[in-house]
Amino acid sequence: MIRFIINKIKDDLFSRATVVKLIGMCFILLGWQIATWSLGALAIASPFQTFSAFFRMVPTDYFTDNFFVTMRRLFFGVGIGSLVGFSLGIFAGLYDDVRNFLELFIWILMSVPPVVVTVLAMLWFGMGSNMVVFIVSLMLLPFVYINVLKGMELVDERLLEMTDIYHYTFSMKLFHLYIPAISAPLLAAMNIVVGNGIRVVVLAELLGAFNGIGYAVGISRSNLEVADLFAWVLATLLVVAFFQYIVLKPAQEYFLRWKI
Amino acid sequence: MMEEAMTDELVIFDQVVKSYDETEVLSGVDFTVSQGDIIGILGPSGVGKSTLLKIIAGMVDVSSGEVTNRAKRIGYVFQEPRLLPWKSACDNIALGLIARYYTKKEARSKAEKMLEDIGLGGFGKYFPGELSGGMVQRVALARAFAIEPDILLLDEPFSALDAGFKEVMMTLLETMISEHQTTVLYVSHSPEEVVRIANKIFLIFAGGVLEELPVGEDESFNQFLQDVFIM
Repeated sequence: MIRFIINKIKDDLFSRATVVKLIGMCFILLGWQIATWSLGALAIASPFQTFSAFFRMVPTDYFTDNFFVTMRRLFFGVGIGSLVGFSLGIFAGLYDDVRNFLELFIWILMSVPPVVVTVLAMLWFGMGSNMVVFIVSLMLLPFVYINVLKGMELVDERLLEMTDIYHYTFSMKLFHLYIPAISAPLLAAMNIVVGNGIRVVVLAELLGAFNGIGYAVGISRSNLEVADLFAWVLATLLVVAFFQYIVLKPAQEYFLRWKI
Repeated sequence: MMEEAMTDELVIFDQVVKSYDETEVLSGVDFTVSQGDIIGILGPSGVGKSTLLKIIAGMVDVSSGEVTNRAKRIGYVFQEPRLLPWKSACDNIALGLIARYYTKKEARSKAEKMLEDIGLGGFGKYFPGELSGGMVQRVALARAFAIEPDILLLDEPFSALDAGFKEVMMTLLETMISEHQTTVLYVSHSPEEVVRIANKIFLIFAGGVLEELPVGEDESFNQFLQDVFIM
């Protein structure tokens, strides 16, 4: 699998799509620079200032401490939210009663603004990691749940009949029929989940934590260190890019390689 | 008890009725499949041919009447291959065996042997999407024979294939039935296929009414079948 992923990354690096994406990135940088010239460096740090601040920050303990705290929270938040959402989605797909029972709960989670959940979680858990992980898990759970449920509904009835005739056990059906069948919508959902995950983590840290990227963003804002603030944003973008292009995309291509 | 254990009757339908909503598909069917039978059931679409097989496979319940089924292992080949698209040809066969308590190693080894038997020795690692229609149907056939079924149910298995492939598949099926000594129930609307395979032939009419035909090999019998069928 690792060799497959490495080969895939190598192929992607030299593809036409990569060149076009690089051109798109250049346009963003140009637009960003024009915005800095128009609004001033106090409102928008220039790309050069941002990258300078980023490379100045990266070797410091301040950066690594805050960055890895956020990563840990993101990992546990996304992990717990995905695991619970996945399990509930599977059960809801198998049993209509579970789906009906959860419908209102999921709808509430989808509808409540994250900032409200953050405020409530601060009351329940106090400031810090538990609160952030709780919020991230709770906010991401419905995304995973809905995509797993959709995938379960799309499982081919004819394949299900076949597995019954050939006496597949429940675990065989789960691992060889349901999970592969839902892997496409699930992996697509994980792109959104990780992207939203980092947003929610940073928001929760900004409002209720004493460390992490969100906390550091708050400090930069208070001190009017606009370049540092942009450097933290760059750090979060790099995290999402890492997950999407280095982890999820190759995983998607590996698990869906049967789709020709 | 003793009498039941010694009987060679695998499946007995006793006044079986099956309705879907208001529509009665089978109305009072009496039918017996004995060990070693190769039964062909001929009939047009919508008269309950597939329902008959689904009842034997336990996929649908009867509305009334009684079905005695002594077949413990049932192989089923559908009109479409129904292979898991994300599993290799070898895994598709092996999973049916693992479900029958084979170890993974035994299952894989038997699956590879089955693939060789059907002429797909080098294709074990291929996904169904990488194989032709005829090849995937061969894999489906191998999956059914691999479990050494007490009864093999074939539901118009080659109807989606072109004439060339159909001929290859019929020859393969004949060879496998003779090698594995399998009891077979072959449902089709093609007299040529049924006559070639079966040692007992039934015509099925609306309501699942079955009429056994004497199997003959002369031209007049074949003509008779064609005439009945066209009617």
